[in-house]
Amino acid sequence: MQNAKDTFYITLRNRLATVNPARTMTLRGVLRPGILVEEAEPAAAQLPTDVFVLRWTKFAVDGQLPSILTNLTCEIHYATAGTQENAGLDRGRSLEEMDNELLQMLWPAYTPKMNYTQTPAVEMGTNIFWSQATFAPETTTRERVGRIATVKVFAFQEQGEQ
Amino acid sequence: MSADLNTLNMDGHAFRLADALLRSQGGTTAFLQMPPATGDTSDAGQLGIDAPNFQSLPLSPVVFRRVRATMTEGKPAKYELIVSGAAVQAAVGALQIAPADLLFQMAAGVTVAGELFLIEAVSLSECLGAVYVYRLLLRESASGWQMQTTQG
Repeated sequence: MQNAKDTFYITLRNRLATVNPARTMTLRGVLRPGILVEEAEPAAAQLPTDVFVLRWTKFAVDGQLPSILTNLTCEIHYATAGTQENAGLDRGRSLEEMDNELLQMLWPAYTPKMNYTQTPAVEMGTNIFWSQATFAPETTTRERVGRIATVKVFAFQEQGEQ
Repeated sequence: MSADLNTLNMDGHAFRLADALLRSQGGTTAFLQMPPATGDTSDAGQLGIDAPNFQSLPLSPVVFRRVRATMTEGKPAKYELIVSGAAVQAAVGALQIAPADLLFQMAAGVTVAGELFLIEAVSLSECLGAVYVYRLLLRESASGWQMQTTQG
């Protein structure tokens, strides 16, 4: 299950670096693509803007198949206040840009499952795959506009995998 | 349009006054939990596998107090940390960070008397363009960890 979560994040991160190399952030002293896993970073009073934040929520198991199929729900939170040059009046356009980037990052909707606890990471025997994103209505909080996209990530539990 | 035509020069009196006040009010030391100078660029560092190796950056003098006496069930208590502007200036100089606000943005939390707190908001007071005191609104961490406060 953890391997599926790790693989999903690393895949989206690598795809974001291709889709929009300019979307970067500095976190814990490292310049990296603007996407993070909320549960793997220090707690913050407010989610950062112009960055994709992955929040893992539901977990379900289908035991009717020859292998156990896990179903993880990932909420992808993102918000923007627009750009300083446009005094934030382009925040709607900036959010649409992030919508578009996310759609590109999520396609194709599968990737080989990797084990990142080993260095270098080891490719496992199955793929993870995910559903189409469900986009929640745009929300406005003061000068920030944001959205939550929800994706269901599926992965087969492999032999010996925790 | 109006302009500040004050001809006074900043001579550090506000810093000294703030430090004296903080010390007289039971000034203590707080430790910002800062990321290491050389960050972890590996995948494992972004997945919560590698330890972040936060380093404790001491700030002194500071005054630490509870914001409200009444507690709400299920909600963590809030605290206030008043930090010497001179201490922040020294820390910013040592880490070569500008502006000073970035110091608090980079911090993963602040440790006071071995307890970890999360920074919720930062405000400041200035005199003649120099910030002599910072006020941090802190939230009690739910982790309950006893933190090491030795400098990394």
